Amino acid sequence: MPAADSDDEYIQTISDEEGDAHRVSNGRRRGDRSTGGRGRNVRAAGFEVSRTWEALEEGVDGTISGAIEGLLDATKRKRATKDTTPFQRGIIRHLILILDLSEAMLEKDLRPSRHLLTLHYAQDFVREYFEQNPISQLGIVGMLDGKAERISDMSGNPEEHVSALQAWRDKQPSGNPSLQNALDMARGALFHAPSHGTREVLVIFGAIYTVDPGDIHDTIKALVLANITCTVVGLSAEVAICRTLVTKTNPSMNPQLAYSVALDETHYRELFMAATTPPPIAAANHQPERDDTGGTLLQMGFPSRIVTPYPSLCACHSQVTRDGYLCPRCNSKACSLPSECRVCGFTLILSTHLARSYHHLFPLLNWYEVTWNMARSQSPSQKHCFACQTSFPEIPTEQSLAEAESRKKKASGLAAAKQPTAVVGRSEQAGTRVLNSSSRPQATHIEGISESGRYGCPTCQTHFCIDCDVFSHAETHNCPGCLAKVGLDHGYGDSDGMDIDASSITKPNGIGNKMTDKDVYGDILKGLEKLLVGVS
Amino acid sequence: MASRMDELDASEHYTKESEDAAPVLLNIILDTNPIAWAYLSDTLPLPKVVAALLVFINAHLAFNQANKISVIASHVDRAEFLYPTITPSEVQSNEANEMDTVMQNARNGHDTAADDANFYRPFATIASSLNDALRKLFAKTPPSALSNSTTALAGAMTLALAHANKLIVELTPDRSTNPAVITSSALTAPTALHSRILVLSASPASPHQYIPLMNAIFASARLSIPIDVLALTPTSSTFLQQASSTTNGIFLTLQYPHGLLQTLLQAFLPSLPSRGYLVPATQSAVDFRAACFCHRKVVDVGYVCSICLSIFCEPPEGAICFTCGTKLRLQDYGKKPVVTVRKKKRKRQEGDNGVATPSGRMTPAA
Ligand SMILES: [Zn+2]
Ligand SMILES: [Zn+2]
Ligand SMILES: [Zn+2]
Ligand SMILES: [Zn+2]
Ligand SMILES: [Zn+2]
Ligand SMILES: [Zn+2]
Repeated sequence: MPAADSDDEYIQTISDEEGDAHRVSNGRRRGDRSTGGRGRNVRAAGFEVSRTWEALEEGVDGTISGAIEGLLDATKRKRATKDTTPFQRGIIRHLILILDLSEAMLEKDLRPSRHLLTLHYAQDFVREYFEQNPISQLGIVGMLDGKAERISDMSGNPEEHVSALQAWRDKQPSGNPSLQNALDMARGALFHAPSHGTREVLVIFGAIYTVDPGDIHDTIKALVLANITCTVVGLSAEVAICRTLVTKTNPSMNPQLAYSVALDETHYRELFMAATTPPPIAAANHQPERDDTGGTLLQMGFPSRIVTPYPSLCACHSQVTRDGYLCPRCNSKACSLPSECRVCGFTLILSTHLARSYHHLFPLLNWYEVTWNMARSQSPSQKHCFACQTSFPEIPTEQSLAEAESRKKKASGLAAAKQPTAVVGRSEQAGTRVLNSSSRPQATHIEGISESGRYGCPTCQTHFCIDCDVFSHAETHNCPGCLAKVGLDHGYGDSDGMDIDASSITKPNGIGNKMTDKDVYGDILKGLEKLLVGVS
Repeated sequence: MASRMDELDASEHYTKESEDAAPVLLNIILDTNPIAWAYLSDTLPLPKVVAALLVFINAHLAFNQANKISVIASHVDRAEFLYPTITPSEVQSNEANEMDTVMQNARNGHDTAADDANFYRPFATIASSLNDALRKLFAKTPPSALSNSTTALAGAMTLALAHANKLIVELTPDRSTNPAVITSSALTAPTALHSRILVLSASPASPHQYIPLMNAIFASARLSIPIDVLALTPTSSTFLQQASSTTNGIFLTLQYPHGLLQTLLQAFLPSLPSRGYLVPATQSAVDFRAACFCHRKVVDVGYVCSICLSIFCEPPEGAICFTCGTKLRLQDYGKKPVVTVRKKKRKRQEGDNGVATPSGRMTPAA
């Protein structure tokens, strides 16, 4: 069975995440060393480095347990809360991943070592990349001993890349990295990438120097000419040449997003995995020679899966199989999709592969945090998460809310009067966030976390628990409320272009004759009653 | 075969056992489209199906003390939990767990099934609460909803997945981790909960739901939750076929209505680990052809917008994608790439022989 199904690779993608086990991180130390602009600010604003205990406030019930859980939940939710602007994203991508395999990767500041962690994350990256971008291409290049080495060729098969990466686990990183050589090789590999896809390079750079045979600025110019965008994840410190590379090749992108330095294992993973999301197609596509539309109409084949009584050879590997997909143009057999027909060069794909990308185009709106007052006014009757039926905490009375509020105001007022300087200093340190509660309307409010434990969908106004919020945004990309409640009128139907008139939906033959309004229910109800009698 | 023998010899007994002992959450999605059931009433009336389903559920629960069950109705105007349900009595006492709720419900209710001494109590409570919920569901359906020929299948699947996810999160010791970690640990930890979805479908899925349905299917593929489908009518749904094939589930069309219980017990009762040792009853040829966005024509060769991936059966008018509004360039597929290159070369050579333009020479470098 498994051999017959090309989707297997997607099902078995979830691998162990040993990296995340190192949660007790050495973030502060590395933060001091790093000069990475964005990373530092983000980290300082996050609760891990800032003084978490100062953010704790008594909840309405007078304990702080809610606040502690809230902090944990905040990190959970941060991952799920995404930019939901329906960008036009470059969904057909061509990306070269450049891995540093030089001596600098022997450092053990990222555990178990930069090298092993990078290989591990790279495998996750490959799987996630093809999960998110099923009809894209990927190639991997390594930098070691002053030269560029091809780890895997440009291809659309995740397993090839993963096995190529696994082979590198046994080899030791050595020598100096050469950014120029690697970029030149990447440029060569992307040269033939068709114009309707993106051309991207992602560099994982552990060293703080590069040994190049020529002028790397010429290479950067060539990259710009070839419309290749480069992003860099640094592991040690910001390097000037990487900054130049990123700014030159991403004129429209926020340079802080394109080049960041990892602070710890978790942050490294975040930065690495961020590259799996298809990039928005920049409004100012810096490619005058291409016409400014950017879109291309691609002809593709959607073969069905067949199983024959007698085995035959597949065109791609010359292996004997009974099942496969027939190219609709030339009838040769391919054993896994997506692929290109070996005989006629037709792009063969499953319609489900295309559907896998639709959630990027029609993203689920972020849900809002429901305050106690909103919970009371909007839906006092909903006491359970709509999706998983866990009960919500009791809505406190208006009176008790007001009391808690005034108690808090008093307390923070005292604190502010006692140490005004300390408060200012702290807020400056924290960069963007002011922890002093008197300046914020809601003291218990931790950013991104709802005080009532409820999260509401802006479309259907249904409330959900945090687990369902995270799950819906990270995994299903569906709102259970919109779909389950008189679901067929909401959202999706209009925006996705799937709108067609109802008459074309096929009905089982003869249904019309059978249907006589109330009788339908009557019969069923009668039957159910009979059944109940039978049971007892 | 040899590899399987090796596996058995390699003293993996401990892990095998614990795998089998892991509780299974079975999410049953029951299509409750009244029109479809009216259509089926001669051969396969709904009460009979519910009765067979109850036997099937009891068999599932009897396999393992910790096995769990949920039944979700995919109705014409909504998707709703039929079991476990929230009842007014639970709203009053938030602490009450599932079983208590159902029992209270049964006591408050008008049926006597739960009090029968000859009936294993958990089975009786499920039977009565399921019937209760079904009756309520039909009673509150407005006649206007009957104009829908399809049901909220995507909603039902999303509910089932969210419910399964919550149970997995609760059973996973480290609750502070992100969903990806939760799923991976749920796969490896021996005590984790296995989950699967069984869809009893009686009416076709609407193309309107294509995107949410696909989202739900991919989510369950990522969570390793197989979607089994038993199509009660021969008008099999392409989407459901794709659902079971994408998630490694079983797709069957019910051939003999009288054999419903037999089919349920034989094809759909075996748990995921034991399915590896059985010959799957699924149909292996799957219709993967796509429906074009313009006419809902099923095509095997289509044109795809590179921006939004909409599928068209022929290049759209004026080469403007009507989903995203982008002006599209038509790639020339009539010529083979080799031919195109040769033509260019020839032109260039002519250019070099004649008037050499600097731009012509620059092209290969850029
Ligand atoms: Zn092959
Ligand atoms: Zn072909
Ligand atoms: Zn929930
Ligand atoms: Zn909603
Ligand atoms: Zn069409
Ligand atoms: Zn389009």
